[in-house]
Amino acid sequence: MSSDLATPGVWTRAQRASVERLHIRLESLLVLVALSALMAVLSPYFLSFSNLLNILLATSTIGILAIAATFVIGSGGLDLSLGSVMGLSGVVGAFVAVNLGAPSVLGVFACILAGGIAGYINGQLVTRAFVPAFIVTLGMLGLARGLALVISGGRVIYGLPEFMLYLGQGRPFGIPMPVIIFIATAFIAHCVLAYTRFGRHTLALGDSESAARAAGIRVERQRRILYTLSGALAGLAGLLFSARINSGDPTAGLNYELTAITAAIIGGTNLFGGRGSILGTMIGALIMGVLQNGLNLLAVQSYYQQMAIGAVLILAVFIDQYQVRKESRV
Amino acid sequence: MTLLKLEGIRKSFGAIDVLHGVDLSVEAGEVVGLVGDNGAGKSTLMKTITGIYQADAGSITFDGRGILDLDPGERRRLGIEMIYQDLSLARQQDVSSNIFLGREPTRKLFGLFPFVDKAAMDRQAAQMIERLNAHLPSINRSVGSFSGGQQQTVAIARALTFNPKLVIMDEPTAALAVREVQSVLDLIRRLKSEGIAVILISHRLNDVLSVTDRIVVLRHGRAEADLVTGNTNMSEVVSRIVGGGDMAAAASHEARG
Amino acid sequence: MIGKMLRMSLVSVAALSLSVLGAQAQDGQYGVLMKTLSNPFWGAMGQGVEDGAKEAGVDYFVQAVESDQAAEPQLNVCNTMLERQPVAMITAAINSTNLLPCLKAAQEQGIKVVDLDGNLDQAILDKEGIEITFRIGSDNVAAGAQGAEYLVSQLGADATGAVLVIEGLSGNITGQKRAEGFAEKLAELAPGLEIVASLPGDWDRGKAASITNDIMTRNPDLVAIFAANDGMALGAVEAAYAAGKGDQIVIIGVDGNSDAVKSIKDGRLNASVAQLPYLVGKQAVENVKKALAGEEVPSDIAVPTLVLTQEVLDDGSEPLLEYVK
Repeated sequence: MSSDLATPGVWTRAQRASVERLHIRLESLLVLVALSALMAVLSPYFLSFSNLLNILLATSTIGILAIAATFVIGSGGLDLSLGSVMGLSGVVGAFVAVNLGAPSVLGVFACILAGGIAGYINGQLVTRAFVPAFIVTLGMLGLARGLALVISGGRVIYGLPEFMLYLGQGRPFGIPMPVIIFIATAFIAHCVLAYTRFGRHTLALGDSESAARAAGIRVERQRRILYTLSGALAGLAGLLFSARINSGDPTAGLNYELTAITAAIIGGTNLFGGRGSILGTMIGALIMGVLQNGLNLLAVQSYYQQMAIGAVLILAVFIDQYQVRKESRV
Repeated sequence: MTLLKLEGIRKSFGAIDVLHGVDLSVEAGEVVGLVGDNGAGKSTLMKTITGIYQADAGSITFDGRGILDLDPGERRRLGIEMIYQDLSLARQQDVSSNIFLGREPTRKLFGLFPFVDKAAMDRQAAQMIERLNAHLPSINRSVGSFSGGQQQTVAIARALTFNPKLVIMDEPTAALAVREVQSVLDLIRRLKSEGIAVILISHRLNDVLSVTDRIVVLRHGRAEADLVTGNTNMSEVVSRIVGGGDMAAAASHEARG
Repeated sequence: MIGKMLRMSLVSVAALSLSVLGAQAQDGQYGVLMKTLSNPFWGAMGQGVEDGAKEAGVDYFVQAVESDQAAEPQLNVCNTMLERQPVAMITAAINSTNLLPCLKAAQEQGIKVVDLDGNLDQAILDKEGIEITFRIGSDNVAAGAQGAEYLVSQLGADATGAVLVIEGLSGNITGQKRAEGFAEKLAELAPGLEIVASLPGDWDRGKAASITNDIMTRNPDLVAIFAANDGMALGAVEAAYAAGKGDQIVIIGVDGNSDAVKSIKDGRLNASVAQLPYLVGKQAVENVKKALAGEEVPSDIAVPTLVLTQEVLDDGSEPLLEYVK
């Protein structure tokens, strides 16, 4: 009760609570708004509709990987193979559709299946062979990338069929398909994580595996599903990127796992599990997207962009920790 | 009526045999104390009842049916609850999320998608906390920010919300202040009056003697003694815990306990 | 805390906006999209672009990504550059497809597209319906062939022995062209010289050194090494000298970067087929200006390469040496 008096400031506790009911941290939303305002002032090109679509389009692949990262990290796991699996999936999809001449639908299916299989292998190794997730997914990072290079012979596989292309290049109502798929995926993922038993068990598992086990949650099964889901989402990201550039690129998604994890952490996911939300992660991904887009518009060298993103990551976690500590003191 | 019956339960971890064939039975509405020295196998035995550990041999029947091949979630649904010594709470989740963990009520959205009914969870959680006459700062805070006693309240509420038939308590009073200990003992009596069986693991023999109907002594992985509480006393219990008539050791154990 | 953050950000918005508004862009800019600047080759090309633009009196902006493998980030940067509506886009694509959607959009906006350093594939461009104004760069196949010619000039057409080829990054077209050009020319000029291994060194000096060690163990009769860039060639040099075979193996790199020049002058690296990235960048801007003015520009501009050896460097009379940075 005394806590109402203990937190004076711009935002009342009630207002804060109403934002947090949507499972996001107020600070990250504030940073996103401030950053967008800053970019709008600095560059006359920033606030155009086409540029906003640019930001969303540029965020779509990383954003989908960040959704996967939120689920896995939220459950106390880690998936370092996201970027490689994305590259592998895109190549597999292109190989099936181009080299094997299979119909588009099979190409789409192959992308997601390839990702899902890689994720399933991760899950099996983590839960049955008791190899730590860091090691398993680090191994998969190399395996998937190598396999992508082997399948493609090291070259991009060009010339996808019509329907696959539409997923990357179509613009219904003027909005790029990857953006539509990204937003739909995020919406579903948000509902699953925040409002279903599966989502709640995921976070509880990341919070305390023994508590989850005691509560009768099938911990190993849950983890296998999560890693498979993570791989399948990486497959979806691979599909969208391949469709955008009309080719399977074996080097696609290089180092994306770290960017995706960064987005999730900026969005308030606890690196050690137990807390995370897709809306928060989307805000995290958009903070990075806006930052990169704005700095690109200002023609700032990429070196400084990397510095800026590193600084935002540390700042976000600092603010987060500050809040957590303040709350636990009350 | 026998609610729970264990026969010849064995369990080993690698080369270490922890349980060497334990027999134990609990009647409905009975309060059984389970005592024994550190390492006697008390917690292991309880975890084989809840299904966290799989017994290597033996049989467990609950309510007349064998439950050995059921997983922890299924055993919980039959009415076996346990309050763990470490409480096993998800510290970053709020009160109702912990109470309902693994058993969240859902309602169908558009008749299709089963969404967790958080409002119902919060409502029922608040009622349960109230029934326990307990006070929590806020039902929407993460339980990690609560005191030890408050966290215990949440763990107890979780065990009682789904109308259990058997509640296992592992050292429920170890970390509590005197006044809080009394309320846990009162709670155990209330459960008994409602016909709920309780297995109480405790080092505090005074508590065990004051609240139980029967006391089972576990020693070196076997049920060493099965004593009716009304016909025994502290020194007998202690001597059975340490084995035989070594009264000097018994006295030192009592002083520690 | 939040109030303070808001105030701070408002102040910084105001300050930054004042400093940037003065330098805001106008029409007629050239957008230059590089791979990365963290490499002497691309650095020199960027310098050429800058000098060319200054001499031609045109306004330009250069962007790059963090590494020469950041395919999607480069596409995103490309899309962002379109927002500034440049009159021309001079692009060094990371691979033959990653910029396709952006180049298509540029074409639809009436922006002239230039392929800097020849990373695009004409067949793919035709299928996509993208017409580039011109491509400019070194002929990588010819550069590889020059390496082979130099090697044969040193060992003679009747020479026999084992040759190692260290390729670039797996899948990179530039490295592949150089390796192919070398292999084809070598087979033609000196069939007795056998390529016993052709392995990807991933543009990595250390990796090239390891490969060299391994192959020297397997083929003690190794007589020559061709590496698809200078960094890898220098790695091979270190490995060969460490094994005491420095003067038995002819080592050739490609690029002509400053480290390689130094090593050639010291008599360690035998030769480097120098690309002239500075000249590529400079001529790219000059030709864009011509094309914009309606003048005829060839669709394929090959900037010559130059074999650097100790003699060429000591002599110093070669006019192209001016552009070796």
